[in-house]
Amino acid sequence: MSLLHATWLPPIRTPTCSGRPALLVWADTWRVATPTGPKITPALHPFTLNPEELSTWLKQKELLPEGIIEATACLTLPSRYIKAPSTKNAYKKQSDELHEEINDFAWTGLPLQAGEPIPKQCEWWPWQVQGLAIEPSAATTWLSKLPLSGNNSDLGEEIRWWSHFQRWSLSLIARGRWIPQVEVSKGEGYPHRARWVPLLNREDDRQKLEEFAARLPLVATCALPWREPTGRRNNRMTRLRPEAMREANPIASCRPRSGRIRVATLLEDLVDAQLRKGFVPNTKDLDPLLTIWQEALGSENGVITLNEEDVERLATASNHWKEGVAGNVAPARTCLELFTPNQGEDLWELRFALQAAADPTLKVQAASVWGAGSQGLQIGEIHVDQPSEVLLEGLGRALTVFEPIARGLENATPENMQLTPAEAFVLVRTAASQLRDVGVGVELPPSLSGGLASRLGLAIKAEILETSRGFTLGESLNWEWELMIGGVHLTLKELERLASKKSPLVNHQGAWIELRPNDLKNAALFCSTTPNLSLDDALRLTATEGDTLMKLPIHRFEAGPRLQGVLEKYHQQKAPDPLPAPEGFNGQLRPYQERGLGWLAFLHRFDQGACLADDMGLGKTIQLLAFLQHLKSEHELKRPVLLIAPTSVLTNWKREANAFTPTLQIFEHYGPKRPSTEKELKKVLKHINLVITSYGLLQRDIELLESINWEGIVIDEAQAIKNPNAKQSQATREIARPDKNNRFRIALTGTPVENRVGELWSLMDFLNPRVLGKEDFFQQRYRLPIERYGDISSLKDLKARVSPFILRRLKTDKTIISDLPEKIELNEWIGLSKEQKSLYNKTVEDTIDLIASSPLGQRQGKVLGLLTRLKQICNHPALALKENIVQEGFINRSVKLQRLEEILEEVIEAGDRALLFTQFAEWGHLLQAYLQQRWLCEVPFLHGSTSKNERQAMVDRFQEDPRGPQLFLLSLKAGGIGLNLTRANHVFHIDRWWNPAVENQATDRAYRIGQTNRVMVHKFITSGSVEEKIDQMIREKSRLAEDIIGSGEDWLSNLGVNQLKNLVALETS
Amino acid sequence: MNTFPDNSSEITTALSEKGLGNQPWWVEQWMELINSYRFKKRLERAWSYAREGNVTSIRFEGRRVHARVQGTDEEPYKVKLWLDVLNDEDWSYVLEALTQKARWSAQLLTGIMPSDIERAFAASGKRLFPFKLQEVRSECNCPDKANPCKHISAIYFLMGDRFSEDPFVLFQLRGRTRTKLLTDLAEQRKKILKKIAQDSAEKDDDLTESSAITQTTSSIHSSITNPHLWWSYEASLNADLVVITPALDGDTGLNAAGELPLAENPKFPQANNKFLSHLQQQGQIFAQEAMLKAMSADE
Repeated sequence: MSLLHATWLPPIRTPTCSGRPALLVWADTWRVATPTGPKITPALHPFTLNPEELSTWLKQKELLPEGIIEATACLTLPSRYIKAPSTKNAYKKQSDELHEEINDFAWTGLPLQAGEPIPKQCEWWPWQVQGLAIEPSAATTWLSKLPLSGNNSDLGEEIRWWSHFQRWSLSLIARGRWIPQVEVSKGEGYPHRARWVPLLNREDDRQKLEEFAARLPLVATCALPWREPTGRRNNRMTRLRPEAMREANPIASCRPRSGRIRVATLLEDLVDAQLRKGFVPNTKDLDPLLTIWQEALGSENGVITLNEEDVERLATASNHWKEGVAGNVAPARTCLELFTPNQGEDLWELRFALQAAADPTLKVQAASVWGAGSQGLQIGEIHVDQPSEVLLEGLGRALTVFEPIARGLENATPENMQLTPAEAFVLVRTAASQLRDVGVGVELPPSLSGGLASRLGLAIKAEILETSRGFTLGESLNWEWELMIGGVHLTLKELERLASKKSPLVNHQGAWIELRPNDLKNAALFCSTTPNLSLDDALRLTATEGDTLMKLPIHRFEAGPRLQGVLEKYHQQKAPDPLPAPEGFNGQLRPYQERGLGWLAFLHRFDQGACLADDMGLGKTIQLLAFLQHLKSEHELKRPVLLIAPTSVLTNWKREANAFTPTLQIFEHYGPKRPSTEKELKKVLKHINLVITSYGLLQRDIELLESINWEGIVIDEAQAIKNPNAKQSQATREIARPDKNNRFRIALTGTPVENRVGELWSLMDFLNPRVLGKEDFFQQRYRLPIERYGDISSLKDLKARVSPFILRRLKTDKTIISDLPEKIELNEWIGLSKEQKSLYNKTVEDTIDLIASSPLGQRQGKVLGLLTRLKQICNHPALALKENIVQEGFINRSVKLQRLEEILEEVIEAGDRALLFTQFAEWGHLLQAYLQQRWLCEVPFLHGSTSKNERQAMVDRFQEDPRGPQLFLLSLKAGGIGLNLTRANHVFHIDRWWNPAVENQATDRAYRIGQTNRVMVHKFITSGSVEEKIDQMIREKSRLAEDIIGSGEDWLSNLGVNQLKNLVALETS
Repeated sequence: MNTFPDNSSEITTALSEKGLGNQPWWVEQWMELINSYRFKKRLERAWSYAREGNVTSIRFEGRRVHARVQGTDEEPYKVKLWLDVLNDEDWSYVLEALTQKARWSAQLLTGIMPSDIERAFAASGKRLFPFKLQEVRSECNCPDKANPCKHISAIYFLMGDRFSEDPFVLFQLRGRTRTKLLTDLAEQRKKILKKIAQDSAEKDDDLTESSAITQTTSSIHSSITNPHLWWSYEASLNADLVVITPALDGDTGLNAAGELPLAENPKFPQANNKFLSHLQQQGQIFAQEAMLKAMSADE
């Protein structure tokens, strides 16, 4: 798979061309390449798509920008040293040529691709990279359309940096933070230019500059200009005289530097490109100077043709104009620190300092700045050449918005000054933010810093009533509260007294605090009508920061030990108390499963819906069954529980329930013979504990199922209800409404639900409808900001709201790992679709008698043929019917395929890699076509007729390519031995082979030395079919099985007709 | 302030929309200087010369002002203006005085002319501003024997505006360009600071401690030690950038920058304002387009 990158190309200026910058987009892809090194010019990057391939690919992905030309640039990229293939022949030739000799010692290697493991010794070398150059304004349009969040597998991470960066430029333009400038030529051959320049004086913009600079992925700016020696425009790669190329492009690498200036320049280029494009000059009544300036501001290249004096005049004036708003981008800035008066004194102290722009906590006091000497000053990682200039300039700016400072600047090297209380108040209230906007840092005492802590709020102490077990949300708590501001407590009386002083800054118990107009009013109101505090309130107030109670923010919440216990479990700060497997549970729970059971029981006590979202293979089914058994043993399972699952897993549920909870009475509401009236159903459900049905039937039989008084509703593969408007989703949420007789709600899923914002609403509406509110509200408040813009604060808030109800543990969690074996075998029991079933039965019926009547010599072949055909039917009817194209509705015809798709969805989502083994090449081809369509990605298929070279290429790519395929299909025979595929951590045996050793050998492609993860082995077994019989034989290691397996396939011919019937006939369970 | 009495209202409005009262102090001071001139009639004629655009060019070349004024003759007259230049010794006094007050350096570094700058010049016994109009030396190649002639006086009027383009022009006329002045100031400051550094090093050891942080460490870019940084970017969109909002009314960069400090060409009296209001108006269109673009992101 290819990965798109974007690199800014600085303008190349030639005497004939003023040069514009451009955005180079290029893509690397996996290929086998010979190590090479720079010779006369940098070597061609061996992994990039050529411009033609690139345009085709971009067009296909609907990402093709406008305004492009084919281009080549010289990029500096991390590279891996690899010794060149032996050049002994060169010695033999005894060549005198210098460069031949150099070749033997020269550096050779390959550029690294994003995501590739970094070798121990990494070097930075220039590579010629081919791509498409987008002219700047088209580039900004293109960048504006790119996704702002999420992982797009086609786009390199740095592209997201670009799209964020472009969004900042849009924000600057929307807020009018720009000013036109005139730039004097930088020297001979460079024109004078009119430019649009962003203004970065505001505190938040300067912070953004620091952020973007600190996070700049260097590939975005790693280009050195690539010159065509003839000055021609390069639309094709042309072979040029080496000497000319060398002259035009000396081999050099660009040095990674501090990003601040670079990023500021990039921003200038982006803003300039957009404003230039949009600007329509209107030169009516303008004097010649302004006319020329304005026209140049709207022209493509901004060139100004005027005499030197006039240009200088314009440049000086425009610069002076800009200076009034913003200074230069500098690594350090002046900072003013305010200190409260000493005890009994009146005057506040203001100290001068320098502060690192990137990290405001790094400060150097003025005294050290004045004493820095000629070698400059080091603040953290940054070096300031002329610290006293920077400090003075900042003080000069401070003076423009906060006049009292003048008093402090009367001597040559001022370090601090004193402010009157009135001046201090002006500084705290208004001047601080103005100062920050002109680029001067201001540090206020913590109790006045304007954060939440400096506002009047509450400190709360609460505990669950002694008489209560703390099980109901509405119950009142024992609680006391105090008013609090700036970290100190105060009473309403004290507040009244302080307020009566009519001074905005007051001292209380040694802390200086700022009283706001409404403070006294809010406090008085709260004191007169103190509300009850319920357990529900406590859970809410401790969930997210900044929650308020009657307009007062909560500064401190102290919970008593019992309440604390509940809160910690609720917010999942503490692992839930484990609950041992209940009586009657036929099996053992691993420690984390006991904790999962404890958690389900904990939320059940509060009547809260719970979503168990453990990783695949951690045993969600077992935990749910244990929970039901737990309810039963606590005598809380008085009514039946309804479990809704995709058709493909119904069989599995029934089998697991029979195995682990044999005392639970189960009824499968499925198939044509299911009860169709309320009366029938109620009759059947007497003594039944668990009813299993499919999403499809729930929707069809909703009225019938609604008539039952359920104990609870469980949904498996909960992603099935992700679309809130789908009928099955609505039906599911309808039947689970908690106001209906306290039904408990549990959802099971293996997908990371909390990361799929769009799917969360429907799930939460099923579990606990009030948590996320109505759908419209949810869309506006959370989904839009998070999905479209990646808004992190909305996401945090959302997670805080839903996280009490979702438990997700990963196979890789440290606490889980110790509980798990290295290799986990999972049997997937599945049923057959209607078509499969009838085809299966028909095949058996048609063939058995035929076999019985055929001569012994032909029997073995016939039996084999039958078994093969039956196994094919279990895979997919299309395979047995020898269809060779994937038609519409392909998935509906095979339950096995449905289940496979569900599991693969989780595998792909988790970024895991899987090997899929089948014994049927034809099936492999069909499956390959289907999977490629389904996930729009490449799925290689290694089978008997794959050539040796192709096999090696597939294996290499699967193992090495950082963006290699996640799924790898192999035929059991061709791919089962010899290969090393340790990058896979899932192995699927789609159909069964007689001999477990063959399956194990195939499994060992992934489960072998070099494997660093747990390996999950998924075996698909069609319940009641020949596959189950085979599985039984393998598992029971019966004499028959040993005989069979030991002696190849001879036994088949010896099977009696009855034995054969037993083996193949479809059992209906 | 006083403009000359005869025709004051007309002249003030013609000079600038805001009136002279809002001019930077150094422009005011310059106008006062002109108004102290005795021959009002001549000034009036000069004023109309200036206003009608007879001054075809004004250039600052080194320490002199060269200008051309279209008079009655076919060829424009050449006018030169200059002030007495301070010699190096004078300047060294001025620089020493300037470094005595941090505010002076601070303001000059920010592009602001300190209103009490003359006090620094007093140290040398010289002035930055001419005290009398006679101190402004001038030459004109017109036949009029009187100095200043109306051509020279016309330049006087326009000079005030040119000062507001760049206050450092005055320093230039006294022999120091802005760059030179700031470098000299920095040099001078270094001398003082060196002395301070020595003094305090003797006095206490505290500073040696703080100079520990001043040691230069050659820093290696972090991507060298971690090549993944060449590609990786994991941050989510800054919360401020989620919703793109327009500026509050009157809160744009143009508003903050204020008037364009470019002396107006008298032939195009409203040019600066028109230039600005067109930019403002275009700015609103830019803002709307940017917000539209931002809203349609990733659709």
